[in-house]
Order: sequence, then C-alpha cells, then structure tokens
Amino acid sequence: MKSKIFYTFLAVLMVAALLLSACGTTDEEQTTEEPVVEVSETDAPVVEEPVTEEPAAEEPATEEPATDGPCLIIGALYGGPINDAGYNQAMHDSVMAIQENIDCVEIIEAENVPEEAGATSTMENMIQQGAGMIFATAFNHQYPALTLSQQYPDVIFEHAGGWEMSGNFANFFGEPPDTWYVMGVAAGLMTETNKLGFVAAFPLGWTNTFINAYTLGAQSVNPDVETIVAFTFGWGDSAQEADATNSLINQGVDVITMHVDSPATVLSTAESRGAYSIGFQSLAAQEFAPEYWISGIGFTLGDTLTWLASNVIDDSWEPIFLRCGIADGCMAMGPFGPNVPQDVQDQVLEALAAIESGDTVVFTGPVVDQDGNIVVAEGEVLTPDLMSSVDWFVQGVTGSPQ
Amino acid sequence: MSQNDKNMLKWNQIFQKILDSAARYLMMGFVVLFLFGIILLITGKDPIQSYKDILTSTLGSQYGFSEVIVTMTPMLITALAVALPTRIGLINIGGEGQLYMGALLATWGALTFETLPVWALVPLMGLLGIIGGALWAFIPGILKSLGLVNETIATLLLNLVAPSIVAYFVFGFWHSPMDTNKTPNFVDAAQLPTFFNSRIDLSFFIALVLLAIFWYLMKYTRWGLEMRAIGGNPQAAKRNGLPINKYWVIVLCIGGAIAGLAGAAQVSGFYGVLLVNFSRSLGYMGFLISWLSFGDPIGIFITSFVVSVIITGGNMLQLTIGIPYAVINILLALTLFVVLAKPTFLKRITI
Amino acid sequence: MTLLSILGMISSAIFSGTSLLYTTLGETIHQRSGIVNLGLEGVMLISASSGFAVTAITGNPYLGVFIAMMAGGIMNMILGFLVVTRRANQLASGLALMFFGFGLSAIIGKPYVGTRINALPRLNLPGLSSLPRLYSSLFKFDFLIILVIPAAFFVWWLLFRTRWGLGLRAVGESADTAFASGRSPFLIRYQALFLGGMLTGLGAAHLSIAYTINWTEYMTGGRGFIAVALVIFSKWHPLRAILGALLFSGAVAFQLLLQSSGVQISPFLLDTIPYILTLLVLIVWGGARRHAAPASLGRIYQGVE
Repeated sequence: MKSKIFYTFLAVLMVAALLLSACGTTDEEQTTEEPVVEVSETDAPVVEEPVTEEPAAEEPATEEPATDGPCLIIGALYGGPINDAGYNQAMHDSVMAIQENIDCVEIIEAENVPEEAGATSTMENMIQQGAGMIFATAFNHQYPALTLSQQYPDVIFEHAGGWEMSGNFANFFGEPPDTWYVMGVAAGLMTETNKLGFVAAFPLGWTNTFINAYTLGAQSVNPDVETIVAFTFGWGDSAQEADATNSLINQGVDVITMHVDSPATVLSTAESRGAYSIGFQSLAAQEFAPEYWISGIGFTLGDTLTWLASNVIDDSWEPIFLRCGIADGCMAMGPFGPNVPQDVQDQVLEALAAIESGDTVVFTGPVVDQDGNIVVAEGEVLTPDLMSSVDWFVQGVTGSPQ
Repeated sequence: MSQNDKNMLKWNQIFQKILDSAARYLMMGFVVLFLFGIILLITGKDPIQSYKDILTSTLGSQYGFSEVIVTMTPMLITALAVALPTRIGLINIGGEGQLYMGALLATWGALTFETLPVWALVPLMGLLGIIGGALWAFIPGILKSLGLVNETIATLLLNLVAPSIVAYFVFGFWHSPMDTNKTPNFVDAAQLPTFFNSRIDLSFFIALVLLAIFWYLMKYTRWGLEMRAIGGNPQAAKRNGLPINKYWVIVLCIGGAIAGLAGAAQVSGFYGVLLVNFSRSLGYMGFLISWLSFGDPIGIFITSFVVSVIITGGNMLQLTIGIPYAVINILLALTLFVVLAKPTFLKRITI
Repeated sequence: MTLLSILGMISSAIFSGTSLLYTTLGETIHQRSGIVNLGLEGVMLISASSGFAVTAITGNPYLGVFIAMMAGGIMNMILGFLVVTRRANQLASGLALMFFGFGLSAIIGKPYVGTRINALPRLNLPGLSSLPRLYSSLFKFDFLIILVIPAAFFVWWLLFRTRWGLGLRAVGESADTAFASGRSPFLIRYQALFLGGMLTGLGAAHLSIAYTINWTEYMTGGRGFIAVALVIFSKWHPLRAILGALLFSGAVAFQLLLQSSGVQISPFLLDTIPYILTLLVLIVWGGARRHAAPASLGRIYQGVE
C-alpha cells in the first residue's frame, strides 16, 4: 500500500519535474530594455492639480552612499502575472526601473494579488518586511491601500489609475487618451471594411474614454468608421477574450484592439484570423502579431516612478495627483508593422506631432454621443477628472457603455 | 486482578489510543510536508525556509494569528452549511451558490437602506443574507422532496447560476463608471464591527455560536435524534412516521440560510463591497472541511484552522521565497489527498 | 444580421465548444463507469498548462497536445487511487483534485505566461481557400476541431458497441453484479478514468494551444463544472453531448453578437440559460431519470476482500 501511494505521487511529480526542469531560471529574466535615463528636467512628469513643487529640483538618489541596509524598501502589488506581456508587465518593468536607477532600493513584489480586502494582508506583510513605499498597481487595490494608509502614516502609498488622495496616499498614471487618438488615426487609415473592433474588460469610465478617443481619431481620417465594442467582464479571462475577438471579426471587423490586461490572446486570435491589430498596455504586445500588427502604445512609467521613489528617499515626497502623457515619456508608441504603408505611417506621425504640440486636443467640443446628445459643449474640453466617469460613447460606436 | 489494576489497564488503553492517533496525525502531517517539500525542491525553493515562513507569519505574530481567524471565519460557516444537511443524509454541494445569493440580498439591503444606523442595518443585512441563501436552497430542497431531482445535482447546477445573477445585478443596477467588477463601497453603517484592532469581525463570534448551537441540537434534542434517524435509514424513519420530506426541505433551507449568512458576512465584514467573483471556492472549501471532519463541530474548527494557517501562510511565501500564491493550493490538496486516502500503513503504527 | 455574422456565430460556437465537448466526453466515460469527477477543472488546468509549457519549450504544438493528453490521464489516476483503491468519497476527492490542479498548474505555467507559442496549425478545408479572407478563416479548423465529432462517435462506439463498453456500463449500473459476472470493477474504473482524463486533456489542450493561444491561471473559468452539467443535460450519452456542447457555446456566441449589436440584454442572464435548461430537463424527466443515469453513480464499490 505504502509503495502504491508513493508511486502515484512520484508519477505526478515526475511529470512536473520534466516540465519544470526546462524552466528553472526563467524567473530571473526581467527588467526592461528601456534605456536607463537619469531623471532630469526634461523628463519631469507633468503635474496636474496642486502644483506643489518643481520636480526638477530633485536629484535622483543615485549618488547616495551605499549603506548597510537598503535606503528604501518598495513593495509592489500586481493584479496579474508580471510576465503577461501586458499591463502587469508594463507596471513591473516600470517598478524595476527604480532599481536600475537607484541602487540602494530593495523591491518586494507580489503577483496575482486578490482584489479589494483580499489585498490588505499582502500589503500588511510587505510593511512588516520593512516596506516604506507601496505601489498598488491594480484598479481594485485603491481602497484597501487607502485604508491602510491611515493605519500606517509613515508608509507612502502610490496607486495606479485611481483618484483618491490623502496625506500619504497618491495616484499616478499615464495618460492614454491622446495616444489612443493617434492609434485611431492608424486604424482608420488601415481598415478596408470601415469596422474597428475593441475588446474591453469592463464598461469603466476610462475604458469608455479610450474607446471614444480611438473612434474620434479614426473618424478624423475616415468619417465612415464604426467601432464595435465587446466586453469580457474580466481583466484576464482569455477564453472570453478569444470568444469576443472572434465574434468581432465575424461581424466584419478588420482591425482589432483591446483594453484587457494581457494582449496575448486578443492579438494572437486576430493574427490567426488575418485581422490587423493594435496593441495596448505594453510594447511587448507586438510579438503576438508579427504580420498584421499596425502599431501599439504602452506604459513606460519607469522614470516617473523613479522620481517618486527618490522623493521618498530624500523626504520631499508630496501627495500629487500625477498624470503624464506621451510627451512626458510616460507612454510610448510602438514601431509600425510590416504591412503598414509609408503614407499611413507619415499621417500617423503627423497626428502624433499635432497631439504632442497641443494643436490637437482630443475631446474638444462639440462631442456628440450615440443618441445625438451633446456631451461636451462647443468650445469646451473634457477634463481628465471627468474622463474617469464617462458613461457615454461617441457617435460611431456600437455597443453599450453601461 | 484487582479493580485497581483493571482501571490502570483501561487508562493505559485510552492513553495508548491517544498516542496512536497523535502519532497518526503527525505521520500524515509529515507525509504531506515531505511531498510538498519535493515539489518545492523541484522548483528550486527551500522547503525548510518555506515551512518556517508559513509558521512565523501565521502563528508567530499577533497580526498573522488574527488573519488566520479572519480566513477561517467564512469556512466555519460554510462547513456548517454542509454539515447540517449531511446529518439527514443530504449532500449539499451548493454552498457556493447559496453564499453568493446571501451576499446578493445583503448587498441590496446595504445599498438601499444606506441611512439606517449600524444596529439596524447590519442585522437587516444578516437577515437578508439568510433569506437569500435559504431561498436558493429551497429550490433543490423542494425538487428533492417531490422526488424529481437529486439534491447533489441540483445544488451543483445552481452554483453555476448564482454568480451570473450576482454579475447581472452588479453590472445592471449597481455599477458606476468608476467601478470595474464591483458595487460602490458600502456606507460605514453597513460594515460589521471589528475587534482587537484587527480584521476579526463579529461574524467569527457568530460562527462560534452557530457551531455551539449545532453541537447542542445534534446531541441533546429530539430534533437532532430524528435527523440522525433519517440520515441513517430514511425508509425506516418514514415507516416510523417521521415526515422526512418536510425535514429534507427545512434542513436544506437552514443549510442554505447558514451559507447565505456567510455571504452576507463576507460582503459586510471582510469586503465592505460586493465583488462579482468574491468567493473563490469558499463554498467548495466548506464542503471539503465538513467532509474531512465528519460533520463534527470541533473537527470543523480544527480543520478550518489548519486550512487557514496554510492559506494565510501562503500569502507570505510569495514575498519571501517568490512562489506563486496559487501554489499553496498544492499543500492544501496534498493534505486532503492524504486524509482521503486514509493510508493503512499509518494505521498500523504502534508505539 | 449579415451572412458573415450568422456563419460567424456557428464558427465561434464550434471553436469555443470543442474544448467543452472533449471534456464532456471524458466525463461521460467517468460517469458511465460510476464515478463523478468534480476535479475536471483541476485536470483541465494541469493539462492546459503542461501542454502550453511543452509547446513553448519545444515549439511543437503536437507534442504539447500529446503531453496535455497524458497529463490528463495521469492526473485522473490520483482520483482513481483515492476513489477506487482507497474508496474515498468521490465528491470530496474530486474537489481536492481541483485545488491540486489550481496549484500545480500555476507552478507549471508560471514561466510561460505571456509567451508566444506556435499555435496548433489551422488547416484549409478544400474549396474554402477561394473565399475572401474573413470568410475562409471562419472555417479554418485545427485537427482537434476536425476530430471532435469523430471522437464523440468513437466514444459512443466504445461504450455501446464493444465488450469493454458493455463491461464499463455494467460496472456503472452495479459494480457488484459486474463483479459477479467476472469483470473487475477496479480495473475498468481505472481504465475509464485514464481514457476520460486523456479526453479532458485534449479539451484543455485545445483551449490553451489552439484557441486562446495563451496560458493564464484559472483560465478554464468553470468549464470543468459546465462539462459536468453537460453530461447530465445530454443524459449520459456521447452523441447528445455534441448538441449540448454546441448549445452551450452557441449561447456564448449569441450573447456576444447581441452585445456588439448594441442590444440591451444582459449577457449574464443569457449565461444562466443553459444551466436552468438542464435543471428543467431534469425536472421533466423526474422519476424516469433513473433510466438514464448510471445506477451506482457516486457510490463506493466496497469490493470483496
């Protein structure tokens, strides 16, 4: 009997051993190819709302003398796996950039952290491990982090993509809507069927804003364009993503893009069906669509996070509601795919230049929603704090924003 | 042989028995740790360090210990929701669905009666949770008593329906563009009071009281006796005039009500918000715990505690040695395997 | 609705229904031999992750499919040991297997998250290549899709037209009687579990290597439980399972089509329809259910020692 048990388990273990022997050290490959840029005046992120301080005044703490212990322990939480080639990888790469720029920090990471109160114990454990700064990068980590920030006034909390603020809790994020507009221009020029497909996780205010910006960009070069939206109701449900992508392509869509955590499934599926694709979250997305890739945008927040961490180290950290766009280096545009004609590339780059110079402002009134109501009046501009609660789609989007 | 010697012998036997079972559990624990250690070694992690981390992060600190209690609370309640119907011979695998429905109704209460004071709102949510779970268990209960559908299959199917209904309400009625897969945060009055400067909330004490009531009911009341009679031999019980159909419906509803209460406690105590997929197999965990402890209240407590130590400790492991959090499920499953396999070689051990 | 969208719905249903059908066929075999395997979810996850990992390492999707298949069979041997040899409770053992799968698949798949693999190649059906790209790609199937209907017929043939199948069903009806007539319930149940596990593994392989071309934790999203429901829905019959799987996956495809046509019907309510339908079917059968379900399903065979 005894031997039987062990043989059963041994069989299983051997399968596991076989599979794992080949992958022993993969954990170590990380960090970006992103150039190590010293934080200087030009990189200083654009600071919105209480402009308390000139960020350029800070010197990065690179020259800090090496002491015995780490000068700052940073805890970073991710809602998914850090090698997902998507959002979590982009965030992980940005956090690891701190390590590259500032030698003396130590980083502890936790992946696949549960949402809401499920994340509290992970952060508690990090603080008990000595973390003085916490990066909570998942959307639903905002409130547990905020609650903990009241319990631990000495720990600095930075959350990605939220809105709450307090004495030791602040929010940072890239500003994707502008970049989505540029992607829309690319999609509008490339589509032959005039139907664009958007696979989105949730009818979230920001997601709706991305979809709107994308559609407006496409319409600026191709007025007949229609964007069809399919929601998967999960940040990482790959079976649903495949279903949604196929469903969109079956309705005649020939350009696919997405706002879910990992681009892997959506882009691979589009590629296998011969539909063009546009990446989001991380520039690593391109590998999934070698042939039909148009372009993509990704978060490159390394310098911004380095700047925030260096502020914590020299005690000059202030709670700042921080949003920074492509002009500030917080977002980056990927290269064009092999099937994108030169004149399309030129037009896209032109649109990008117009965004960077401020000539194009995406949500300039009048903006009209699906039902024909004016949602942004003539002469007005949709402000970032309103973008997070957008519950309408512009004309030309098919789908329900709620 | 004198009376005294006989007594000595009896005590010796009892002592021997205790030693035997202690040795058996130790052996089982050792087998589990050994197997998990092999898996850890294969992935290149240090097993000794892992076990040390699990223990120090759970039992080694006040905070860790409080988190173990927090983790085990819903398990205690969902295990009870399975243990009670088991006494009457019903297999309620539907704790998961009943939990969701309880949470759903409790959330409705929390979002609708926001202005009520805490002493009114929290009991109301508890009551709604009980109703939600009971209603969800009523369906399989009535189908069973009409002789239409087996309760195992019915509860399993309803488990698959309940999360979709929760999602329908969250995305259809309680969703704002600021939220992904959840409702707006509850007001403070809708949150269970917490104790000891930790996340231990009132539901832990409710769970203990429920366990005690369950123990008393089963041991000392006519009710418990009749239930055991039905569970033991339904045909005979029927011949003796026990209304077994009525018992089936009522007991399954009570089981559902308990699971529903666990759901209400989760949204009101632990989360303070309704997440679409908040449960993560809590209901199934309750089934396993109830089954492993043979429906015995003290067994439920001990098993939930051990399971919670493993789960809570796993949280620390990913920070200290960097293994995926989900891996802790292996340790859990190995423990279950060894208990389920009732290894005979362990029973033969004598000291 | 255009022709493309209607054809597309059928195509979507076939693509996403394939993994479901393989898994359902596997569970049909388990249950016909009298074993309820609630651990399908875990078995699928381990098959999906190991198949994906092997494909990522070797670059050969066929090898990945094979490994996924074997992993499924081996995983079920654990269940076999518990419920057949050790006579443990089937439901509890299955759930324990599910948790085991959650954990082990996470370890196996971890290094390969976000890795691009060579997906299972899709073959052009003759005559379709002349159609426009969007149409022809609708029915470019990989070999697992092409084989799924034959697999259902194979399982049907195995169960109802062979001596082995007769023995298996006899064990499922009454292990004692089967034993008395000279069959070994132990051996047959182990064989059923291994074969069923391999089919489950194929389903999982299709999900990760051919359909989503990705590995994520918990990626099966309840498909294991759906398969258990489908077995009941199809009255433990492999050919009716084809219809059941198409209905389930068709509902998903229909839901997505409605959603992106701007129709305001909650996808979640549509999601519940297959389960409610299954429950209704059970209610309609009522007492007659006994003629369909294997009589000793879920019972422990104590054996003769």
